[in-house]
Amino acid sequence: MIAPAAIALAGAVDEGFFRDRSSDTLACEARPDEVFCFGWARENIDRFLTPTLEHLEMVVASVAAGFVVAFALALLAHRRGWLRPPLLAATGVLYTIPSLALFFLLLPLTGLGRTTAIVVLAAYTLQIIYRNTIIGLANVPAATKDAARGMGYTERQVLWRVELPLALPEIVAGLRVATVSTVALATLAVFVGAGGLGTQIYGGGNLTFPTSVLIAAAIVILMALVLEAALLLAQRRLTPWRRARAS
Amino acid sequence: MRGSEAGYRLVAVPSSEPATHTQPAARAGRSASPVSYVGATKRYGPGPPAVDHLDLEVPAGEICVLVGPSGCGKTTAMRMVNRTVELSEGDVLIGDESVRERDPARLRREIGYVIQQVGLFPHRTVAQNIAAVPELLGWEKDRIRARTAELLELIGLDPELGSRYPAQLSGGQQQRVGVARALAADPLVMLMDEPFGAIDPINRERLQNEFLRLQSELRKTVLFVTHDIDEAIKMGDRIAVMREGGRLEQYATPAELLMAPATPFVEDFVGADRALKRLALMRVADVDLWQPATARAGEACAEVRARLAMPDVDVPFPLLLDAAGRPLGWLSERDLAAATVPEQPDSPLGPLLETDDVLRDALADMLQAGAQYAAVADPQGRLAGVLSFEVISDFLGSARAHAPLPRPAEAAPAAPAPPRGGRP
Repeated sequence: MIAPAAIALAGAVDEGFFRDRSSDTLACEARPDEVFCFGWARENIDRFLTPTLEHLEMVVASVAAGFVVAFALALLAHRRGWLRPPLLAATGVLYTIPSLALFFLLLPLTGLGRTTAIVVLAAYTLQIIYRNTIIGLANVPAATKDAARGMGYTERQVLWRVELPLALPEIVAGLRVATVSTVALATLAVFVGAGGLGTQIYGGGNLTFPTSVLIAAAIVILMALVLEAALLLAQRRLTPWRRARAS
Repeated sequence: MRGSEAGYRLVAVPSSEPATHTQPAARAGRSASPVSYVGATKRYGPGPPAVDHLDLEVPAGEICVLVGPSGCGKTTAMRMVNRTVELSEGDVLIGDESVRERDPARLRREIGYVIQQVGLFPHRTVAQNIAAVPELLGWEKDRIRARTAELLELIGLDPELGSRYPAQLSGGQQQRVGVARALAADPLVMLMDEPFGAIDPINRERLQNEFLRLQSELRKTVLFVTHDIDEAIKMGDRIAVMREGGRLEQYATPAELLMAPATPFVEDFVGADRALKRLALMRVADVDLWQPATARAGEACAEVRARLAMPDVDVPFPLLLDAAGRPLGWLSERDLAAATVPEQPDSPLGPLLETDDVLRDALADMLQAGAQYAAVADPQGRLAGVLSFEVISDFLGSARAHAPLPRPAEAAPAAPAPPRGGRP
């Protein structure tokens, strides 16, 4: 377990962030009371661009992969009710594994790099997306389904034209939670050499120089907020009936 | 296009169309189909069946009400028709075609379906809800749009509401949309499962009347489930009374059911007040009204007194009519003491009934006014006769509601009275 971690850290170090930063901190050392070094930030802000894009790609890929798997599992469980509890338990167990442990557990299988990160991050989204999809489908009023079947909707039409549209708010709510937590969790991907904003947080291991950590954290928070807002907006546009109430 | 659409047009469209297109026969659209249950049985596991060898013939274009206490299998029986409940045994025929041989989804698109909780799609607009079955059937967009507008008009809903969502409508409006949605593809048969059960009493009555008005034009074959015997009597051309274990106790017209309950269960179910309920089925015109002595202003009072003395006159006071024969009020002894009939009667008319009034409502009016007699006017307002408590009680006592009523042996009551008339 320790060996891969060392490799990972070494990988991060090899990419050169540690060395660069330690040299740049010199500018701030004249004023050690400064928590945030604006001068350094101005000169080095461009070095956050690549990690930010890497981070975003990783989040989008993981949530998308997690959604595909969780959604398929939820539809399966919706059709075959007896599958619901075991699948919930299975995704729940995945969710309880400590994240770092899971990253390292997968290293022997998928090796260093993006694949490992995406597999782990996707695994953590399964529980919330699966559970919310099941809840959304279960909340569709029985009378609505009865009416649909009674009018001649086939089972497939009931699912795609009635149940899923009505479950959309819960499904998107699950996606929002999954996305936000993935944005945060993806900072750990640096330990399997997958890059991302984690490189700017853990990369140096130099916590006496917090400027880089603070900038990376701010970008992580901003990314979470923006993605959440985008999903919320999409949900509102897709479910206009939710805001229509008796006037 | 107009001509080919006429088959789907349910409502008179003000236009230059030939009149024949807007007559009820042309508006009725496709014909309705009869529905027959042949030994239809549904079992859920061991134990008594939910529906037990049901035999029932519902003629095309009639409303058949399935009524009974909860657990009597009425809803199960109704759902056999569109196969939302599968038969265990026996068969259900629509026309002469067995539902068992049909693909369920295709079958259901030919059958209107209305349920108590309405079950509108919350995520689709009113117009999209109404268009649901036409969409499934692959109608063209223009035809769907025309049909939706037509149905909104038919159920008396503002066309503007078509773009609203169901949550923006009242309960009564939602149920109207539910009925419109069921009618959209001009179904052969309509299934209605306690459609007005969740609506408050005032709106329920309104919806019932609206549906009866629609039905008088559309003439669909309707299977209507309710647990409310009064609703059954009001809505049904025929009523099937069912009891626990899915057994049919009696299948008859409302009048037959009230007059001759076939079993103690039916008698109990229709209630001890079935005599009163019969009043709800009859109109004032259906009973033999009394003919009073009449008088007009300026006539000699002696002549009027002579008419009053005729043996077949049951009302002890003459009724003053205007020139057109419309009743004005009752003449008192004091009026008749003069030489000629006065222009103004001594006693006001009291309640004025119409021949179209339901007998129960007429009785209620008389009780409300405290009147023993009430004049009845025909649709033109002219006197048609006089309704009295005696006429009503004789009607209730008669073996058949339609039979001529025997005239009372006893004389008219000693103290007749148009109400509050200050009768001497």
